[in-house]
Amino acid sequence: MTEITLRVNDEMRSYSVEPHHTLLESLRDDLALTGTKECCLVGECGACTVRLNGVIVDSCLVLAVEADGGEVTTVEGLAWGDQLSALQEAFLTRGAVQCGFCIPGQLMAADDLLRRVSHPAHDEIEEGLAGNLCRCGCYYQIFDAVESVAVGSGEQP
Amino acid sequence: MTQIGDPAPRGGGRGRVNGEQRYVADIHLPNELHVKLVTLPCARGRIGDIDSSAALAIPGVVAVYSATDLPHPMPRFGPQFTDRPVIATGETKFHGDPVAAVAAESLDAAEEAARLVKVEFEELQAVVTVAAARAEGAPRVQDGVAGNVLREHKVAWGDLDAAAKHAELTVENTYRFPMVTQFAIEPHAFMAAPDGDGVTVWTSIQHPYWLQRLLAQTLKLPLARVRVIAPDPGGAFGGKQHAKYEPLLAFMALKLQRPVRLVLTLEETFQAVRRTETEVRVRTGLTRAGKLVFQDVDADYLIGAYADIADRVVGKGSYIACGPYNYEAGRVTARSVLSHTVPSTAFRGFGNPQVNWAVESNLTEAAAQIGLDPVELRLKNLAKKGDPFIPFDTPCDGDWVEATKRAAELAGWDKPKPEGRGRGFALGIKSGPTTGLSYSKVRLHADGSAIVYCGTQDIGQGARTIFAQIAAHELGIPLERVSVVMGDTGIVPYDQQTSASRSTVLMGNAVLAASRQVREKLAAGESGEIVGVGDAKKEPDPDHPLGGSAAFFEFNATAVELSVDEETGDITIHRHVTVSDVGKAINRLQVQMQDEGAAIMGLGHTLMERYIWDDAGRIRNLGAIDYRIPTSMDLPEVMVSDMIENGDGPGPYGAKGMSEGALLPVSAAVAAAVRDATGVVIRDLPLSPERVWTALQQRDRS
Amino acid sequence: MRRFEYARPSTLAEAVALLAQEGERAKVLAGGTDLLIRLRDRTLGPAVVVDIKRIPEIAPAITQDGALVRISAGTTMTTLVESDLLRRSFPALVEAARYVGSVQIRNRATLAGNQCNASPAADTATPLLVYGAVVVATGSGGERRISLDEFFVRSGVTTLEVGELVTAIELPLPSGARRSAFQRRTRRRGHDLASVTVSVVLADDGVRLAYGSLGPRPRLIVGGPGSAEELLERAVSEASPSPTSMRAGPEYRLAMLRVLGKRAIEAAA
Repeated sequence: MTEITLRVNDEMRSYSVEPHHTLLESLRDDLALTGTKECCLVGECGACTVRLNGVIVDSCLVLAVEADGGEVTTVEGLAWGDQLSALQEAFLTRGAVQCGFCIPGQLMAADDLLRRVSHPAHDEIEEGLAGNLCRCGCYYQIFDAVESVAVGSGEQP
Repeated sequence: MTQIGDPAPRGGGRGRVNGEQRYVADIHLPNELHVKLVTLPCARGRIGDIDSSAALAIPGVVAVYSATDLPHPMPRFGPQFTDRPVIATGETKFHGDPVAAVAAESLDAAEEAARLVKVEFEELQAVVTVAAARAEGAPRVQDGVAGNVLREHKVAWGDLDAAAKHAELTVENTYRFPMVTQFAIEPHAFMAAPDGDGVTVWTSIQHPYWLQRLLAQTLKLPLARVRVIAPDPGGAFGGKQHAKYEPLLAFMALKLQRPVRLVLTLEETFQAVRRTETEVRVRTGLTRAGKLVFQDVDADYLIGAYADIADRVVGKGSYIACGPYNYEAGRVTARSVLSHTVPSTAFRGFGNPQVNWAVESNLTEAAAQIGLDPVELRLKNLAKKGDPFIPFDTPCDGDWVEATKRAAELAGWDKPKPEGRGRGFALGIKSGPTTGLSYSKVRLHADGSAIVYCGTQDIGQGARTIFAQIAAHELGIPLERVSVVMGDTGIVPYDQQTSASRSTVLMGNAVLAASRQVREKLAAGESGEIVGVGDAKKEPDPDHPLGGSAAFFEFNATAVELSVDEETGDITIHRHVTVSDVGKAINRLQVQMQDEGAAIMGLGHTLMERYIWDDAGRIRNLGAIDYRIPTSMDLPEVMVSDMIENGDGPGPYGAKGMSEGALLPVSAAVAAAVRDATGVVIRDLPLSPERVWTALQQRDRS
Repeated sequence: MRRFEYARPSTLAEAVALLAQEGERAKVLAGGTDLLIRLRDRTLGPAVVVDIKRIPEIAPAITQDGALVRISAGTTMTTLVESDLLRRSFPALVEAARYVGSVQIRNRATLAGNQCNASPAADTATPLLVYGAVVVATGSGGERRISLDEFFVRSGVTTLEVGELVTAIELPLPSGARRSAFQRRTRRRGHDLASVTVSVVLADDGVRLAYGSLGPRPRLIVGGPGSAEELLERAVSEASPSPTSMRAGPEYRLAMLRVLGKRAIEAAA
């Protein structure tokens, strides 16, 4: 076991992990943050997307130990207390949520996109979310939600 | 106050955007054991000795179960036939068929141990295609089924031979539909725990009550001692309708007297559920003026090693193969053919996309041969409201002409086509539920808020929201003051199943009735806790080929405009139009989402999805890297969806069921557009760039 | 995955010593987007995983030193794509890097790792080949430079020796004007492993063409000025696509090599 210390959703966490456990497994099992989902486990579907040290990654392809000393944000960290972010609200009002399983990953990717490009063009949205599969086929509604936030007040997503 | 039709916010939406929603894999039970399955690297293997000693030596491993640890004779289960053993016994019958199950204190230990279970096996000859399964002398997949044809379904009306004499033109072709998998983003997850004298099972299942009955029978327990807790699945699409490993886990939990938990990997889900692969021969007879005379469809559906619900899929899906048209005669013959492959199960469209692909494509060809516009051909023959287009079934229940014309209009069908583009058109139709039984309970609290209880599952289609809207509307209370409780057979009243796009109609009517009873009680001056109950039934009809007529039809018209890069075979869809006849949209946004989602799913098997097998019957492309589904980059440039609302459905406020219709005609519409753009006719799916390119090469050579 | 020890050396010397000591028992971890997949499916089972990301020399950096551009081993695809320097002078490389996986993958996958993984389908391999890339590796014997064309042996195998660590990829800046282009073939528009990759450089002093996914390793062909079409024909005649690949059949692959090669030449002209 290895001791790691990292900031997760603005909270310092210190605990032991197995070197061979992924960040995804550790978030879900060691920290009980089950919002981030397991699906393909090979970096194809994006269901496990989290923000690590300022960029989004597939947490199934990151070892927990690699996150030592770093900063992680998961879907649980998007809201301010019980105040949903503008993006989260938009996903709800624009019909971007069906079964919901891909949504944490989509939100992390969309949040990241809007941080990098405050008013993304349509093809930039497609590309920014290209690493997130949605089998329910909510893509158009997800784009719509992202566009509505971008076009909005320009405030932080 | 939310009105019926409003895009009311999704029930359960908040939890889905803030990470709080608990799917089965997010739930842990105290003292749980982790289970991993052991499988053989072949399609069919005679099981010899199983040596678990190395596995059991791993610290934390508690047990390794195989057939010898279960009752004798091996208990079997299945929604149609009790043909599936709880775990493989004697031989494994498909690549991925579990032969042993390890239970350990940690997932690491279970994984390690699963690799150390030594199974002696002898690889046996396996049949994994229709041709191989039906060949003379082919090995039997199931002992009792000679020739591997589990059942032949036949439906016919009119006099085909006589009708054939009026047909001035007969178009005959064979079409193939590939084997594909549901690929819900949530892999299947199961837990089971002993519960007093009984057992509780947690599962991502679509039909909790059907599973409850199946488990009770298999475990020989009374229904009251079997509880199924079913959190909202993370996508299901039919692949989570029926029991898979719940019986095994239940046995293990009872034997070990501890909770057990199994979460499948994505690769394992590909080995657990799929759609049937189908070969369809179509013979269409028509006059040169474009009047359809007869339709003769013969289909072989390749189902898996165990029937699951596949034979019903074959029967019901093929039944309406002739489509929404009036014919002098029609005949559909469909066989469910067993094979040593993953048991196929329900998948959005339920056996119909396969025959739709064939018949609608054949109509496109027929139209081309007589020089008639393909939309015109459909309009000339489309059933009108009240037409008994299948004589012994529910007559046409919608203005299908209106839907067809709307789709053509939205596609700009009559407008000139931009250079280099092709257009295609196809219609889809599916029978709604043929039997049904749904109960609901509505409880009005002292403060005027209410709880709706129903056994329907919210698989993403938004059932929760719809029922809340109905109750809110009927009770005259704000939507925010209605809760919906689902997913626990110990709490919610009986619902037969969540499938066949039935829930808005059947459970919706039950919720409507229950809500109205609450109102009646209030009006009658009742006090105390006010509880209303309601039900919706569709009685079976044993004389009907499907066991009952259709409660309604799902009807869809799809038009596609695309261009083909002839050097590479790439298809670019510029415009995809989909129009469904929905009766009444209780939530317009949800209807749109369902239709567009179904269309995108249809593009999956149309453009890119298929299982790839090796010669030994093993799946080569397990997992997400080599099994491709549409991403955000693979969508039509413009998707236009619309709905026809004539209030002519049997559901609340005139609603019909929907959500499968928009998937049905996608491949036929796309292939028709490819034909229009390039002249090539392709009768196999998917229309991958390579397949399109190969067809173009053949065109250029000839 | 199988258990392993995790080491995180903080200096290059430490890393080299550790790799020399552990030999075949160790695997280097940079971006992890290839390694973790292979750890999960157990095609690799190292006893020690050596995370090199904290080594200062490995830290992401794209620098110019005279006529050479140096891309440190820890530089990710995202950083590559955002580099003005690379976009100006090595546009085919940037184009290829944009296609690697998704945003999530590109934020982790390193250019060096893409070469060390030695997949014939590696998107960045053919641009690097036509640009004359050189692999800089450090081992217990010191630093050495290996031309990328000599680096690839076959799928999964490079000429890197046990105990050696790639520290950078070097690219010579062009002396004169040159145009370049990159093309790839996939099964869908969404991210996918390429079934054909092609890169072309047209310069006054000659043409260079490289292709991937049609044989066990990416291949480079060099010719005189104005010989682009001839090089393409040579590529098509010598390419040996796998007859059993799931991703594309051999006839299609060869045809696409010709089509994409032509498109790359036209784009570069």
